[in-house]
Amino acid sequence: MKQMLAAFTAFTALALTAGCDGSSSVEEKSATAPVVGQPAPNFQLADLDGKPVSLSGFKGKTVVLEWNNPECPYVKKHYGSGNMQKTQTTAVNDGVVWLTINSGAPGNQGHMDAAQAKAVLAQNGARSSAYLLDANGKVGKLYDARTTPHMFIVDQAGALVYAGGIDDKPTNDPDDIAGARNHVLAALSEIKAGKPVSVASSRPYGCSVKYADA
Amino acid sequence: MILARLLLALLLGLWALSADARNMAVTLVPEGATVAPGGRVTLALVMEPEPGWHGYWRNPGDAGTESQVEWTLPNGASVGELRYPVPETLTIAGIMNYVYEHDYALLTELRVPAGVKPGDVLPIRASLDYLVCTREICVPESAEVAAQVTIGAPAQPGRFDGYRAALPRPIGGEGRFAIEGGKARIAIPYPASESGEGAYFFPLTHGLLKYSAAQEVRRDGDTLIIETDAPGEAAGLKGAEGLLKVGERGLWVTLRPGPIAAGTAEAGLASTILLALLGAVLGGLILNIMPCVFPILSLKALSLARTGESEGTARREALAYAAGVILVCLALGGALLALRAGGAAVGWAFQLQDPRVIIVLLLLVTAIALNLAGLFDLRAVGAGQGLAGKGGVGGAFWTGVLAAFVATPCTGPFMGAAMGAALILPTAAALAVFAGLGLGLALPFLLLGFVPALRRRLPKPGLWMDRLRRILSVPMFLTALGLAWILGRQAGVDGMTIGLAAATVLGLALWWVGQWQGRVGLWLPLVPAAAAAALALAFVPTAATAPAMASAPNMLNAEPFTEARLASLQQEGRPVFVYFTADWCLTCKVNEKGAIERKEVAKAFADAQVAVLVGDWTRGDATIGRFLERHGRSGVPLYLYYQPGKPAEILPQVLTPSRLVSMVS
Repeated sequence: MKQMLAAFTAFTALALTAGCDGSSSVEEKSATAPVVGQPAPNFQLADLDGKPVSLSGFKGKTVVLEWNNPECPYVKKHYGSGNMQKTQTTAVNDGVVWLTINSGAPGNQGHMDAAQAKAVLAQNGARSSAYLLDANGKVGKLYDARTTPHMFIVDQAGALVYAGGIDDKPTNDPDDIAGARNHVLAALSEIKAGKPVSVASSRPYGCSVKYADA
Repeated sequence: MILARLLLALLLGLWALSADARNMAVTLVPEGATVAPGGRVTLALVMEPEPGWHGYWRNPGDAGTESQVEWTLPNGASVGELRYPVPETLTIAGIMNYVYEHDYALLTELRVPAGVKPGDVLPIRASLDYLVCTREICVPESAEVAAQVTIGAPAQPGRFDGYRAALPRPIGGEGRFAIEGGKARIAIPYPASESGEGAYFFPLTHGLLKYSAAQEVRRDGDTLIIETDAPGEAAGLKGAEGLLKVGERGLWVTLRPGPIAAGTAEAGLASTILLALLGAVLGGLILNIMPCVFPILSLKALSLARTGESEGTARREALAYAAGVILVCLALGGALLALRAGGAAVGWAFQLQDPRVIIVLLLLVTAIALNLAGLFDLRAVGAGQGLAGKGGVGGAFWTGVLAAFVATPCTGPFMGAAMGAALILPTAAALAVFAGLGLGLALPFLLLGFVPALRRRLPKPGLWMDRLRRILSVPMFLTALGLAWILGRQAGVDGMTIGLAAATVLGLALWWVGQWQGRVGLWLPLVPAAAAAALALAFVPTAATAPAMASAPNMLNAEPFTEARLASLQQEGRPVFVYFTADWCLTCKVNEKGAIERKEVAKAFADAQVAVLVGDWTRGDATIGRFLERHGRSGVPLYLYYQPGKPAEILPQVLTPSRLVSMVS
């Protein structure tokens, strides 16, 4: 009798093996990404002269965040063609603050110290208001920045109004820039005209941000 | 030395940067095949990344880009969409990539112009832009590839069979998705008979889910539900598609928005656990009359009865005893689960679908049956008596510990069954089973503690217990027989023979042990037995060789599908019903249960002398794949009816018995 029960238990288990659930592994929980339309999270980083720059210091101004890795081919597409500098010039001339952020971890492609970054900026003629180093990736993860470039726009009230790619042609061919819609320029001109941003998010494209391995 | 290395690194670096050094080789290969004008040829873009580099799936994930291909074709020719093989996940510093870290092929169909003749040569050119990356850097590359398609050239099936086998297969049904509270839930039809463990959903549609978020998989009967984080834009999606990967298998599924319950535990599993728990409690209860447990229990019970303790003391002792028993059972269970976790890490996850697990169970059950039959004995551990002899609550606790511990060797059978259950149940449920076993074992003593009248009515230990033990070996042998049958189904006659041979060697070894019971070194014969078991595990064919048809009640006298068999049946002038199925295809299973394997259908088919052929595409057999393609299907189910002298009739994907009966009459 007991063995029958034993067998019964084993067979119940056998027969129902297919009903087994797939338990999933619990991975590290990613910080909740900022939501377009909600207040943009504040942060503070040092610029290339070591001076602290914080987002909250630009209240009342429109702020563009650009994630950057000068060695990424997709970043080169927009700097090599002058497209990024042109976009920066247009923005800055309109009183917009443009913060370029590098979240590359030490040892990874694109990571730079302040002196190296200054040299790169001198060479490519970037027009951003400040170049910020985020070697531990804290601010990158705070904004869930995944690619270089990955663009964010914060309006005068401090709300995130755009998150996504620089344009809608996800290639590395500079020839594609001419026919592409520059989402950042379009959003900035809509903000300037007091209109809501029509394309408030898009799929960012490019290299992955070279964060430190978790 | 260091200098030399630096130089080498520098040289390699320069080489990697030089213009014509590619990190991925790309070639264009046509399949060939005798093409009729207006027909189709499969083209493969064979992508071979250097070691350490990877290419991207159509949806690259968080970063990366889709490959772009521009074709230059002769007038009148055209190509279809690129078909990608099943990708892998690659997470780098929290960023999810959908990639191939090995050679892979993108397939497409070239439609040949209507005016071509055999022997004509069509030049095909393609220019590709693609991204190839290591874990650190990414390089966009371009390639110009060319090939010539010769009309009427022989095919290269071997190579293309491999490419096709790597493609996802359409699941033959529609799934649903629901976005709610920042969560995406995806429900995919997937038969309950197939394990969905380790499933992962690769969304083709961007914005359906967060690529880097963990995916939770659960089951609701014939539905696999995947739950993960959704980005804000997911709410606006009107439809989506993607690829469900289970093991190495990829299934393509389109999704419509629809409600999906957010339930956590599935009802089916809950009832399984309840059943197993009930069995465990009953089993533990019956453990009490095992020859080595009963004396301990009865001694303790007699001492309780004799001293005539107060009711309160008796109860406290009963509870302490129960605690001791359950604790030991849980500890044993925990140890087994730890082993299971270790086993799962090295790929013991296929569990009972793996013939090796069946062999282990077969050997275990055989040993238990032989033990019960009296071939050999297991000696109880003699320690611990001192502690158990003490009176009071502490003594009762230690008696419980001892009873459960002593029960382990001489009641191994039951532990074996519980272990079997523990191997396949979720952790919490498995522990509950062990706790239930302990509770059952402790139950009589608990009753004795709480019902004084019972204390005076205990049966005396005696010969009857040995006789009972012999009788109980019969169901255990039957269990072994059942396991051998399952093994035969899974691994064929060879596998079954290997398993039975191992069982025989084990039996002989145990016989030896029984003969020389009590001597030093008596366990030595178990060494060859263990070796035989290990050999059996190593050599049993793990891929099922038995035809899958064996699993279906073959009321239609169905034969496995081959084109040759179909042709010969047609030659005989018999009508033929051909159906293609797969274990993972729910629509197929529903049709088979609801429409095909029905008495009225079997009778109508028999009356009309209809032959039935079944093609099983569970493993993605290439010849069946080609046959499906020729009938305009990329997947199962496919139902065909051949009347003598007429072209095949393709039946609808949803069948009814009356449709089949009227078809043949």
